[in-house]
Amino acid sequence: MAKILGIDLGTTNSAVAIVEGGEPKILENAEGNRTTPSVVSLSKSGERLVGLLAKRQSVTNPQNTISSVKRLIGRKFSDPEVQKDKKILPFELRESSDGGVEIKMGGKWHKPEEISAMVLTKLKKDAEARAGEAISEAVITVPAYFDDSQRQATKNAGEIAGLTVRRIINEPTAAALAYGLDKQKNEVIVVYDFGGGTFDISVLEVGDNTVEAKATGGDTHLGGDDFDQLVITHLVSEYKKQEGVDISKDPLALQRLKEAAERAKHELSSSIETEVNLPYVTSDSSGPKHFLIKLSRAKLEELTAGLVKKSIDLVREVVTARAPKGAGLGLQEIDEIILVGGQTRMPAIQNAVKELFGKEPHLGINPDEVVAVGAAIQAGILQGDVKDVLLLDVTPLSLGIETLGGVFTKLIERNTTIPTSKSQIFSTASDNQTSVEVHVLQGEREMAADNKTLGRFILDGIPPSPRGMPQIEVSFDIDANGILNVKAADKATQKSQSVRIEASTSLSKEEVERLKREAAEHAREDKEKRGLAELRNQGETLVYAAEKALREAGDKIPNETVQDIEGKVKDLKEALTAGDTEVIKSKLNLLSGALQKIGEILYKGTKHEPGQAEPPKEESN
Amino acid sequence: MAGKNSPQDQGSEALEKLTKERDDYLAGWQRAKADLSNYKKDELKRLEEIARFANAEIILDLIRVLDSFELGLSAMERMGEVEKGIYLIRGQLEDTLKKYGLERIEVKEGAPFDPGLQEAVASVDGEEAQDGHIAGEVERGYLLHGRVLRAPKVKVYKKRT
Repeated sequence: MAKILGIDLGTTNSAVAIVEGGEPKILENAEGNRTTPSVVSLSKSGERLVGLLAKRQSVTNPQNTISSVKRLIGRKFSDPEVQKDKKILPFELRESSDGGVEIKMGGKWHKPEEISAMVLTKLKKDAEARAGEAISEAVITVPAYFDDSQRQATKNAGEIAGLTVRRIINEPTAAALAYGLDKQKNEVIVVYDFGGGTFDISVLEVGDNTVEAKATGGDTHLGGDDFDQLVITHLVSEYKKQEGVDISKDPLALQRLKEAAERAKHELSSSIETEVNLPYVTSDSSGPKHFLIKLSRAKLEELTAGLVKKSIDLVREVVTARAPKGAGLGLQEIDEIILVGGQTRMPAIQNAVKELFGKEPHLGINPDEVVAVGAAIQAGILQGDVKDVLLLDVTPLSLGIETLGGVFTKLIERNTTIPTSKSQIFSTASDNQTSVEVHVLQGEREMAADNKTLGRFILDGIPPSPRGMPQIEVSFDIDANGILNVKAADKATQKSQSVRIEASTSLSKEEVERLKREAAEHAREDKEKRGLAELRNQGETLVYAAEKALREAGDKIPNETVQDIEGKVKDLKEALTAGDTEVIKSKLNLLSGALQKIGEILYKGTKHEPGQAEPPKEESN
Repeated sequence: MAGKNSPQDQGSEALEKLTKERDDYLAGWQRAKADLSNYKKDELKRLEEIARFANAEIILDLIRVLDSFELGLSAMERMGEVEKGIYLIRGQLEDTLKKYGLERIEVKEGAPFDPGLQEAVASVDGEEAQDGHIAGEVERGYLLHGRVLRAPKVKVYKKRT
């Protein structure tokens, strides 16, 4: 079936995604990038350029390079927003005969929807090349505050580009879809969208399969670019203080500094301090000059605190002010917060939002792509893909068995799509063991005792043999209905035993969440416990191996070595009883070193006279 | 003739329903198998691509070091003779990057500006015949495995008005 494209048609950048194999997937453009600048240009040779190529030549051709057309689409020429933008935009605008806006490009006048259509045409063409099939339908997102005329104009742009626009959806709704929040009942969601050039806030109410925008607000001229500008201004003034040179007068140096400032801003989202290092940035009569200024996250936050506060004040107003200005809600009435737009990667913004609402915001999905992902999910619902996928369930928690030392060994990991089956070979823990107990468990904790028992059974009739020798295959199989069958079979005798567990997937959402949370809380101590259990197993195996070696080859080994090994076996046994990880490790290494002696001696094939043997090597840890 | 709800009719209705169900399930199963097989192929391609471009970020950072090196070298040249070893170090760095698929994008002064391969960062006044042609390279550009990793930054002539 033909795919429906999900399109985030942004003011500065656009992105597209489709649903494939039930999962939304961002499609890269022809240049190999996941976002495409929403820029169109007519080059001097009369060639139409769209995206990165249009942006690359904008400096030489500013009058014929059209960007931010989203600010104009579907608006009247007399609209105050248009009048405001007219002053900033480098290209010419005029009023059309119907009172709308027209843009001059290459000597011709175009409606904003025609320009948007050029962006959409490229997005469509590149998506077709990636998806390997023709695409004729799309879901396009628009800001929640777009009125009917802006929506209609966006739809027209799609049609001009040869796309049947199946639906125009709000950007915040798309973000909520991407996080699966549309399925919640009676929730209020705030979407905080801080893009490159615009800042949008939306308050959404989710009802029975409907998402309604209750209030919207923001600032159409506030964005990540303002943050960059503040960083650049700061660096320029610091440099002036330091070197007495105004670097902003040197266009090429400024170009390098701009890029470095943007990089520094990005780096400070993950590190505490960065260095803006531009050797030979400029020169004067005294010779070459270098640029080296440290920038800390704290300094960046101080510089941009005004912008962050402005955005938070706007959020408070949109949430709490009475209609029509706001949603008239208390901050504590907001159930979920979603962060959208690249600027929300800044920890100071995440913290400010968290502090305002007293809740963790959603930020798992790439904030530059979340709207396109949501558009693709809506497209998937329309084309029927997502519905099909809902039939495939996943295991909410991991499934496995208890193994030596009380360790929980997972066979099927959490979130595995069912139906599925997995198997693994296990063995016995002691010599001449003729039966094994299979203890089936569910959970995320490292030790068996902390997880939930689903069932137990015993497989007996294993022929007596040394430990580790029998091969017992344990297989887990979950069918499409979530029914788990666990079977254990002895490979030698083909004897098998099994258990059927009906309730392996029927856990409530809350229960699953609680168990996952507990596992995360105990992760560290659990890991230590498991580490100790595994070390014990290793120790016991080594003791067993040492005793066996002495039994079988004791007469070929010098007495000194025998005594040495016996002493170390005793030490290790004591350490195992006491249960101190470090002591066990050191005794284990000592014994393992001593045991290597036996190998060496047997390999040489000669019985050494007492006194000839080298002293056993001792390792300190 | 059997009545409308005769057992035969009911039987054939049930058969029809089951046949349809069978066809649906078969189609769904075939589709799922095909999806998986296609997914595996796509994933393989994607992994190859990831492997080829896994170094892109590091290489991009190293190119910036190379830029500074070039600037330093020309500053030293202006001040006097430069020790030969310095050129050898530059050669070493360039060869290393080349080994990992990096290739310089050559920019010819006077050639027509091509936004597919270059990025314009400034305009300079020129004659009418020079309009839209490259006036000079400001920063070098590179291809990584044939894809533009960083477009060279150039100045472009603009006819005097």
